[in-house]
Amino acid sequence: MRYLHRGLWFLASLALLVGLIWVWQLLADARILPRAFFPGPDRTWRALSRGFASGTLVADTLTTLRRLALGWALASLLGVGLGALVGTSKWAQAWIAPIFEVLRPLPASAIAPVLLLFLGLTDSMILTLIAFGALWPMLLTTVHGFSNIHPRRKEVARSLGMGRGAFIAKIALPGALPDIMGGLRLGLTVALILVVVGEMITVQGGLGARILLAARAFNAAEIFAGVALLGVIGLVTNALLGLVETRALRWQRR
Amino acid sequence: MLETTGIDATENAAEDVLHVDAASVRYGATTILDQVDLTLEKGEFVCVIGPSGSGKTTFLRLLAGLVAPVQGRVLFRGTEHRAPSREIAIVFQDYANALLPWRDAEGNVSLALEAAGVPRSERSDRIHTLLRTVGLAGSEKKFPSEMSGGMQQRLQIARCLAQDPDVLLMDEPFGALDAMTRQKLQDELLGIVRESNVTAFFVTHDLEEAIYLSDRIIALEPNPGRVSQIFDVDLPKPRNQLTTREMPEFLRLRRELFDFIERFEQ
Repeated sequence: MRYLHRGLWFLASLALLVGLIWVWQLLADARILPRAFFPGPDRTWRALSRGFASGTLVADTLTTLRRLALGWALASLLGVGLGALVGTSKWAQAWIAPIFEVLRPLPASAIAPVLLLFLGLTDSMILTLIAFGALWPMLLTTVHGFSNIHPRRKEVARSLGMGRGAFIAKIALPGALPDIMGGLRLGLTVALILVVVGEMITVQGGLGARILLAARAFNAAEIFAGVALLGVIGLVTNALLGLVETRALRWQRR
Repeated sequence: MLETTGIDATENAAEDVLHVDAASVRYGATTILDQVDLTLEKGEFVCVIGPSGSGKTTFLRLLAGLVAPVQGRVLFRGTEHRAPSREIAIVFQDYANALLPWRDAEGNVSLALEAAGVPRSERSDRIHTLLRTVGLAGSEKKFPSEMSGGMQQRLQIARCLAQDPDVLLMDEPFGALDAMTRQKLQDELLGIVRESNVTAFFVTHDLEEAIYLSDRIIALEPNPGRVSQIFDVDLPKPRNQLTTREMPEFLRLRRELFDFIERFEQ
């Protein structure tokens, strides 16, 4: 019964999506906007299949995915690691946390030119940019998760004679995982934005660079194709992370 | 003063497990425990009762090494002890917070073995034995949220036994359970303590529970918390939920303890 219910909702949302694409086609066919600026789904689809056939779109997509994955992984390691440090150490809380408060409000896009100066038009610049921006949600949720550990669990750890490392790995991290997973998802959204920003600045391949170049050539269908592909990447990566989350937190749903 | 107790401690080293020597605990300006003395002998079952605010839980935390005395000292097997030790296990009242909800029954027991550095190959057998001891055979893969309160408290006791402790400290462990489960767990606990020869220190506000379980009852009085009276419980073992509770000695002690608590109710 529940599965039937969920199936129906899925069909309904799919129907809505198909309906919206159909309206998009109608608007494009009505020529309210010039065809050169506003291609319909048909011309966007053609640009997509042309790009895939020539292989350039596949290469750009893979480049973007690789940068997204590496940048996000880097941000996750830094965010969760620093979060664990600040969350468990009074010393780190006193000395490191204030630095975060200064850095955090800085818009990542404003950091981009600074990174460009130091790292040039390189992958490292893009990865650093992603790491800087996507770090914060993971850091803050990890600190929050760690600070919410029930004092009883700390007493259990002490009475079992657990060291600091074992406490973090076996009690603090799993306990903070629901919070951290939320941070990882937020971080992924930020990482997707910043990979595109980074690629538009460096223009060293990738979907961001492809969209920028298409815009300079007034190739609207190509722009729409790139944007649609980024949308799909966002949707699929988020769904994958959702699956991981469901699996990692299955004890919560019992 | 220090010298005499030093001699006392060595003389009785074979029998005494925990020895509290004129220990006081303060939080800020408030004295929670004032000059308490206590000696726990091996295999003994001691219950602590007292009106609220008499420092029952603080007494337990003092023995656990979770709080340090500002005066006096706590000796564990003859040496001073100010931090928690694996040989002293604690069963908390709030089992939901003490257990790890992301680990199943096996995993929760395993935590104690992992912390003690027991090799992986030996853990499985010991976990199954311990779960069987507390009556949780067949629930190995269950998560705490899938268990009743009684089962969760059994699981916490299993984890404490996995520490292979000399002393089992229990802070109102059955306080949140219904009457039937409570009586069943009392009998199982007595069996476990008898077989493992562990020394039990049990805080409760249920006077009949205290008589039923104890060899000795420590009665605390409040403001500041201190030992007021000690009752020896001369009831035959093994205890029985029906016959023990009907014995004249049981009823006499019940009356005495109620009179004792009554004094602080006004």
